[in-house]
Amino acid sequence: MSLLAQVLLNGVLLGGLYAIMALGLALVWGVLNIVNLAHGAFIMLGGYLAWYLFTGLGIDPFLGLPITAVAMFALGYLVQRLLLNLIVRAPMFNTLLITFGIEVVITYVAQLAFSADFRTINPSYAGNNVSLGPVIIPEVRLMAFGAAILLTFGMWIFLLKTRLGRAIRATAQNLVAARLYGVEPRHLYATTFGIGIGLAGMAGSLYGAVSQINPYIGAALTAKCFAISIIGGLDNPLGVIVGGIALGVIESLALLYVGATFGDVASFCVLVAVLIIRPSGLLGRTA
Amino acid sequence: MLRIGASIAGCLLAASLFVPNTSSAADITLGASVQLTGPLANTGRYYKDAYEFAVDQINEKGGVKVGDQQRKLALKIYDNQSDVNLSVRQYTQLVSQDKVNFLLGPFASNFALADSAISEKYRIPMVQGGGASDQIFSRKFKYIFGTLAPASDYFQSTVEMMTKLKPEPKNVALLYADDAFDVSVAEGTRPLLKKAGLTIALDERYTSNATDFNSLLSRIRSANIDAVLVAGHETEILNFVRQAQSLSVSPKMYSFTVGVPSADFRKALGDDANFAFGMTAWLPSASLKDKWFGDAEQFAKAYKVKYGYEPDYHAASAAADVEAFAQAIEEAGSIDPQKVRDALAKLNFESLYGTIAFAEDGQIHLPQTVIQIQGDEVVPVYGKQGFIKQPKYPMPAWNERQTIGTGK
Amino acid sequence: MMGSKLSIGATAVVVLGIAAVPWIGSDVVVQFGISTLLLAVLAQSWNIIGGYCGYASFGHSTFYGLGSYGVAIAMAQWNLPFAVGMCLGAALAVIFAVLLGLPILRLKGHYFAIATLALALAMTAIVSNIAIAGQNIGLVLPPLNNDLLFYELSLALLVAATLTIFWLTKSRFGFGLIAIRENEEAAAVMGVNTTLYKVLAFALSGLFAALAGGIHAYWITFLDPDSAFDIGLNVKMIIMAVFGGPGSILGPVLGAFVLSAISEVLASEVTTVAGLFFGLVVVAAVVLMPRGLADLFRRFRVEGWRYFVNNIKSYSL
Repeated sequence: MSLLAQVLLNGVLLGGLYAIMALGLALVWGVLNIVNLAHGAFIMLGGYLAWYLFTGLGIDPFLGLPITAVAMFALGYLVQRLLLNLIVRAPMFNTLLITFGIEVVITYVAQLAFSADFRTINPSYAGNNVSLGPVIIPEVRLMAFGAAILLTFGMWIFLLKTRLGRAIRATAQNLVAARLYGVEPRHLYATTFGIGIGLAGMAGSLYGAVSQINPYIGAALTAKCFAISIIGGLDNPLGVIVGGIALGVIESLALLYVGATFGDVASFCVLVAVLIIRPSGLLGRTA
Repeated sequence: MLRIGASIAGCLLAASLFVPNTSSAADITLGASVQLTGPLANTGRYYKDAYEFAVDQINEKGGVKVGDQQRKLALKIYDNQSDVNLSVRQYTQLVSQDKVNFLLGPFASNFALADSAISEKYRIPMVQGGGASDQIFSRKFKYIFGTLAPASDYFQSTVEMMTKLKPEPKNVALLYADDAFDVSVAEGTRPLLKKAGLTIALDERYTSNATDFNSLLSRIRSANIDAVLVAGHETEILNFVRQAQSLSVSPKMYSFTVGVPSADFRKALGDDANFAFGMTAWLPSASLKDKWFGDAEQFAKAYKVKYGYEPDYHAASAAADVEAFAQAIEEAGSIDPQKVRDALAKLNFESLYGTIAFAEDGQIHLPQTVIQIQGDEVVPVYGKQGFIKQPKYPMPAWNERQTIGTGK
Repeated sequence: MMGSKLSIGATAVVVLGIAAVPWIGSDVVVQFGISTLLLAVLAQSWNIIGGYCGYASFGHSTFYGLGSYGVAIAMAQWNLPFAVGMCLGAALAVIFAVLLGLPILRLKGHYFAIATLALALAMTAIVSNIAIAGQNIGLVLPPLNNDLLFYELSLALLVAATLTIFWLTKSRFGFGLIAIRENEEAAAVMGVNTTLYKVLAFALSGLFAALAGGIHAYWITFLDPDSAFDIGLNVKMIIMAVFGGPGSILGPVLGAFVLSAISEVLASEVTTVAGLFFGLVVVAAVVLMPRGLADLFRRFRVEGWRYFVNNIKSYSL
């Protein structure tokens, strides 16, 4: 019984990490209709940045989140402003193709710059945990979970309640009207993408603290984030929490009860099922 | 548009027929397709470095004697970007376009499995030091040789050691990734464990490149398993150890098929790597004498000076591949592929890697020495003759590690 | 234009020329040729569902993989001949296309694309758990040292695929697909059985992809889930189809030949940065010539270098 409790808890905490990873992707996709296949590669870059901050300057990965966020925001802003803005009005799958190309480029540049060595971010508290009865709660995952909740709610409030957030949503929904109101869409799109990449960077920092970073983790992470975003639903930023936890729990249970090779099978089959039955996701509005 | 298409096709066709052959007549060329980029580049690059190192050293010592001529060795290396299909095409290119004399292997069993079909097809011998899976050698191919000991034997000395530990482990968990090498390891280890009278409490195959071991670790903890044997890849084992720490899972011992001998694995884990067991078929000991390098210790020192990192058994295995060719060519007195292949099959000589001799199926047989990470060092603890040094056993609980005095 | 005797004659000459390559060129050219021809088949198969029907599938590698495994299981596990394996692979692909096509083809736009991608990912994970498929280790097929056969087979498959598309452009089925692409609701209102047509297109397209996969598996003599359902292939085939000109008869073939040539030259000359260049080429192609080579040739004469700038202007924010 306590094994089940532990595995469920593992799943929920994993869900928190998943939520942070997917938040940037879901934001950019849901709001700007840009499907970023390079999202995982940006997570990887954020991880390397956090690693350099930690090993070079001794900055803790959690405390360094704002630095990582700002740096990655700048990168995302430039990528959107200089490159992606050029194809925003093209057929949708052009964004799939171009972001795939970007993913290839980023991975190769990372390999050239950082070599194929894998790195870990190993703060002194990395292995700590607290016991709650028979169940053990790893500290770093708990903190990541907390960060996930904060960031997701923050994003929700930002999009729904602040002026900038509403302007972003308005621009995405009606370009012409937005222009008529004096909104500069290129800047707004770039800002939104920048926020998405800033979130990816933060996710990378946390990922480096619980796992390890090498130039090739991007593709698998992107696939995961897709599953999370769709399962949770793209209409609502809170969807990634639901999607993340759902996926984390389903995977953990599959690994426990079906077999240790069935984690991916479970995630992707659930993804296909959700797409067939309820494409707008668990928190989506339309059927 | 049809005209344009036709003219483009025509140009490509014409261009292809005039590709120049660039190899020089005097050198003996060894060709290889290695993982220099992509997820396997981490270990793949050791092969390129070691091949170059060995070729340079042999050339410096005068090259290879063919009949009464001294000829130099040359290398042609392609990057297969960790893509098996590309590596197969590159080996085909090495043989049919670049016209190399002999082939050196890639890293990883699944690559060696696919690429050895090319050496067999074109009847050019390939000596590979990157694939240990028994499947590579079970197809009765004549042109493939391997310098990595069979996968199924990897845990043999470890299991032997386990029966001599006090207190003896009551139960064992056997975890393995689902690729050719690790499945072979598991298949060989199961009968060894049964014969030694150890109970297998958990026997699980997991997905290669898995990042989440929490479920498996929770099961290990809940079943109070004493010994954990993991056959996997470095990235997985890294995650395994870190997650074991975060879930406070510390069995009496754990042993891994990879990672422990490699410097950057230990660097990535830092102190958390302590107490981990592993195995290696090669240690840079001065007792392994070598015609070109003096001995294994000198090889390792010179290697570190040139490349900035300590060579592990992958690099030694790769160097052994080059030396095997050099020796076989000299013994055959010719560079005819068939003659060299026969000479390879009969090889039996001492080198920095130990005794190089291939069994009937083409694979080398070397005993594995059990090693353990103690403090900052990798210490051999158990070999052919029994205990070399006492291992630190049982492993202390994670929160007690600071008091055991392992350094920082 | 395609109906004229001159063009048919010219096409036949080109095909014969390509067919003659194994006797003129080196082994490596033949290898490159097989690889390119199979990619061209994939691009053409995508063309049916993506170019003509307007449903951009991002997971065609699913069918390619099914075809590969059909041949591999038949030959390596059951010792059946290659032809039987091809039929098995084709059958698997068509059954899959129909069963999964029905629910998935109800999705639109990027949801459809993502669903097909998810399908490919799910297949990779599922197959790596199936014992008869060799799980994650894969299967080794009986070797056959006959590149000439593979080359001509691939060429024949490409000709078949292209002829099928040619027939498509003349048939009611084809017009129905184009109608669906342009405006699905209007097509339905006018009496086109959209579900039937979409599923048929999906199955036909999957069939060619599977046959290509079967040939590839036998040629390489080895497959495992990652290489059989290779996600990167999806991008390659779409880029080739789009680069060459989607919704045209020969566009994808041209795109496949040109891009393959660039890619092979890079892989053999510049190896370490080959992948990097591929990524840059993809990015550049999407930005500068999103409408493909066919469009480039047609309008470059009129617009000159401003063609690229115009493309950017019409699609950018």
